[in-house]
Amino acid sequence: MLSLSQKNLASLKTNRIKLLWGLLVLLIIIFVVRLFYLEVIRFSYYKNAALNDQLKQYQIPASRGIIEAYDNGRIVPLVLNQTFYTVYIDPSIITNISKTANDIYSVIGGNLKHYMYLMKFKKLQYIIVAHKITQAQNKTLLAFHLPGVGTQSQDYRVYPDGSLASQLLGFVNNSGQGVYGIEQALNKELAGTPGRVKAVTDVNGVPLAANTNNIEIPPKNGKNIVLTINVGIQSQVEQIIKKEYTTTKSQQINAIVMDPYNGHVVAMANYPTYNPANYQNVTNASVYDNGTVSDAIEPGSIMKTLTTPAALNQGVIQPNTNFFDPAHWVVNGFNIHDISIDGGPREQNIASILALSLNTGATWMLMQMGGGQIDKKGIDAWYNYMTQHYRLGRTTGIEQGYEAAGYVPPPNMNDPSIDLRYANTSFGQGLLVTPLQMASALSSVLNGGTYYQPTLVAETISPNGKAIIHQPKILEKNVVGPNIGNEMVPLMQNVVKAYLHGGFSFMNFSPNYIVGGKTGTAQVAKPTGGYYKNTYNGSYIGFVGGSKVKYVICVFNIKPKIPGYAGSFAGQPVFADIVHMLINEGFVSPKP
Amino acid sequence: MPDMSVRQTIRKKISRYFEMLQSSGDPLKIGRRHKPDYWLLVLTIMLMLVGLIVIYSIGPALAITYGVSTNYFAYKQLIAVSLGLIGFLIATRVPLIWWKNTYKLLVAFAALTTLAAIVLPVNPNYPAHRWVRLGSFSFQSVDVVTLAVIIWIAGFLAMKIKQGLIKNTRAVFVPLAVSLVILGVIIVGVQSDLGSMGVIVAIMSAMAYVAGMPLKRLIIIFVIIMIGVVIAVVSSPYRLARVQTYLHPHSNCQGSSYQACQSLISVGSGGLVGLGLGKSVQAYGYVPEASNDSIFAIFAEKFGFVGGVILIGIFFMLFNHLKNVSERLEDDFLRLIVIGIFTWLSIQTLINIGSMLGLFPLKGITLPFISYGGTSIVFSTAAVGLVFQISRYTSLKPVEINNDTKKGKSNEDFGNRRRVRGAYHSNFGRRG
Repeated sequence: MLSLSQKNLASLKTNRIKLLWGLLVLLIIIFVVRLFYLEVIRFSYYKNAALNDQLKQYQIPASRGIIEAYDNGRIVPLVLNQTFYTVYIDPSIITNISKTANDIYSVIGGNLKHYMYLMKFKKLQYIIVAHKITQAQNKTLLAFHLPGVGTQSQDYRVYPDGSLASQLLGFVNNSGQGVYGIEQALNKELAGTPGRVKAVTDVNGVPLAANTNNIEIPPKNGKNIVLTINVGIQSQVEQIIKKEYTTTKSQQINAIVMDPYNGHVVAMANYPTYNPANYQNVTNASVYDNGTVSDAIEPGSIMKTLTTPAALNQGVIQPNTNFFDPAHWVVNGFNIHDISIDGGPREQNIASILALSLNTGATWMLMQMGGGQIDKKGIDAWYNYMTQHYRLGRTTGIEQGYEAAGYVPPPNMNDPSIDLRYANTSFGQGLLVTPLQMASALSSVLNGGTYYQPTLVAETISPNGKAIIHQPKILEKNVVGPNIGNEMVPLMQNVVKAYLHGGFSFMNFSPNYIVGGKTGTAQVAKPTGGYYKNTYNGSYIGFVGGSKVKYVICVFNIKPKIPGYAGSFAGQPVFADIVHMLINEGFVSPKP
Repeated sequence: MPDMSVRQTIRKKISRYFEMLQSSGDPLKIGRRHKPDYWLLVLTIMLMLVGLIVIYSIGPALAITYGVSTNYFAYKQLIAVSLGLIGFLIATRVPLIWWKNTYKLLVAFAALTTLAAIVLPVNPNYPAHRWVRLGSFSFQSVDVVTLAVIIWIAGFLAMKIKQGLIKNTRAVFVPLAVSLVILGVIIVGVQSDLGSMGVIVAIMSAMAYVAGMPLKRLIIIFVIIMIGVVIAVVSSPYRLARVQTYLHPHSNCQGSSYQACQSLISVGSGGLVGLGLGKSVQAYGYVPEASNDSIFAIFAEKFGFVGGVILIGIFFMLFNHLKNVSERLEDDFLRLIVIGIFTWLSIQTLINIGSMLGLFPLKGITLPFISYGGTSIVFSTAAVGLVFQISRYTSLKPVEINNDTKKGKSNEDFGNRRRVRGAYHSNFGRRG
């Protein structure tokens, strides 16, 4: 019986092998069917899924335009680009954390423990570990071929002249966006249009070799900007206000130098300032502001240089008109009197209104615009001059970020104190203006009545090298009649002479030049209402020229801490320094 | 030629040694030696070439992913293939009786290797205690264990068949169950290698089944194993995640099912004829383990449905030849060895491809002969080498028919002997 059982056993064994084999054949048939299902029937689904993962769209960064300016007739760069690299890691594919971190550390330094800490976030695929590593460091780092470590090039701004013109330039933040100044206002032109690449990439996003699914649109680089700034004047104005900032112990000084015949800003400076290369180190963000365009304050008596031409242009006064100054007016129950030494009621004229800065005189001019007293006609006329002729209360449109519009009180005759409000505006209180608005408005008076849009851009240069010269843009014709400026020049020269005779020896200028101006000592409004007792802003507006006016200059000296009238002792010296500099350095030609 | 005489002396001595072995232990029931089944060698080499080509072609992608030079992986794979062929050669030379009488040495070596893998310090990148590291070489202990298990179980079961105890619970079932538990504790518990344990379980089950163990016992073992698997899965978060991924393949393509999802995308995006040899995109870091566990997905992406079917076809032919050899052996020991090797290679292939096709959960199981990795290639190829030698002793037809004619005389296949001149025992000779 042994043989039978062996036979049974043997056949059992081969039958069992056949059964195992049948199982295997069945599975293989299932595999082939499944393979057919995946690769043939569901092909397009998986093809799309694959492209969804593999086809990535990238921006090719456009190179940002540089910013240049004229210096002695040559174009010099104020802002350039330099390529640095950003290091990022993909912790999900980093295998050897300590080696990777040590290699990164050996190239770029920094915090080794922090690198290792970041690499433990296995779920994340993109963490930036360092900004601004150099080209050489980038090359060394990439030579390690570390899995999960990559770099991206990024253009950074460099500033050959350090903090020169920093606030009007602005800066470019880490996300490539221009903020403040020109960088913000002309971000679009400077940035250009990034190109696009659609490419099949590896899992880290590195494009693979040519593929029919790849698309490439090249970037359009940004335009270069040539500023109207005169680098020589700009840098010296900056030194002057820095010096006066210390001398007058002020909180801030803004100064602007403008060409009245085309609206070109020749210098625009603020102190304190900062270095845009290290913008992130700034502790007080207000230094980013270009105060000459973004800080609107009550201008004080320099406003009389706009009240006077408005009255002259309406024909209600003449340059040589006399009037009897009562030394004070009572308006809406308030006393308006002069800020200067009160000489009592007496005969005055237009020149002395400006030279002695008579608030009563300015109020009187407002009265003349109406029917001999402050009334609707005068208020409407003055409102019209301020907002339509001089374009106060709205932005000028200069190429700067965060420009302030300022404020002009509306001529609301139902307001019980409207007369007082408007009397105040005639000598520069109760309205808000920027130094730029003041300089532009006075420019329009002095150039014969044309309001040019103030501008910082002389030319834009396309990436192909084609330069477009910006033509002056006229915003308002007939601000005042063509002759009003000629009448204002001697009136303002007279102010300078009066100060010289009054002992301000620094106001002594060569007779070969015409220099005129007006001080302003503005009360500073409390945020809670009313004015501070002992705090003033010193302002000054004036001009310098040879046979005719060459530059209009406006200075705001914010909250100086020196005795005497802020306009005379804090604003005026800045103006004087700037004019002396312009004359001494030959930026203004003398009378022939 | 003094050379020849020395060689002949050595040969004589060796053959006397093996004669001694043969006479000392149980003799093998083998027929007359004839030409081996060369298809085994040809198909193995074809598969290894496929692996080499795929690994070479994704060299640039691997270079980026792992930060090595472009041909690093292809070069190492070439070394592995060479070592595999040497292993094949050795396995064809070691006399079969040696395996039967000295399997204890192999078991001891496997135990030693495993111990070394557990005790020696691990690579921080691969913290599982699966590799023995000797300088720059590393060695996966479980491959040795698998081969040892096959030889040992074959010897054990053959002995029990001879003793007529194959259906005896105490004699067969208990030792097998105990050894499974021990292996499970070491391989799953310590080495955390559930996939390889699954392969070993499949091998042992198939061998026991073919040896004639009652199906009921096998089902009991199966139930016990399933309980073990459930415990292993529930106790390990990553295994649980893999099973959840398998059950809900598209629920979380970015998280735990990333690999499963990307494997399917690789396979599916290949289409009918594939993207072409150098055109794989998924190898560029999308599919993890592109050169290793996921190599079939990359192959399918490159060569499409047509290529995939051809590759599966080559595997199928290899398995068919292994099966044919096993069916034509009278000796239980040899037959069970071939069944063990057949199960080993086929189950790895099925699990690997099946997981790439989304049919099974992902397991860390390589595709034999193709996946990058030295130990697996060397041992798989050596195993085929062993079958290659065994194929010299097959009968023309499956054994059951021989048994009919022989009526119990089991020592030699006389029916066969008369026609032993040609190579017609092997399919290789007959198909040409």
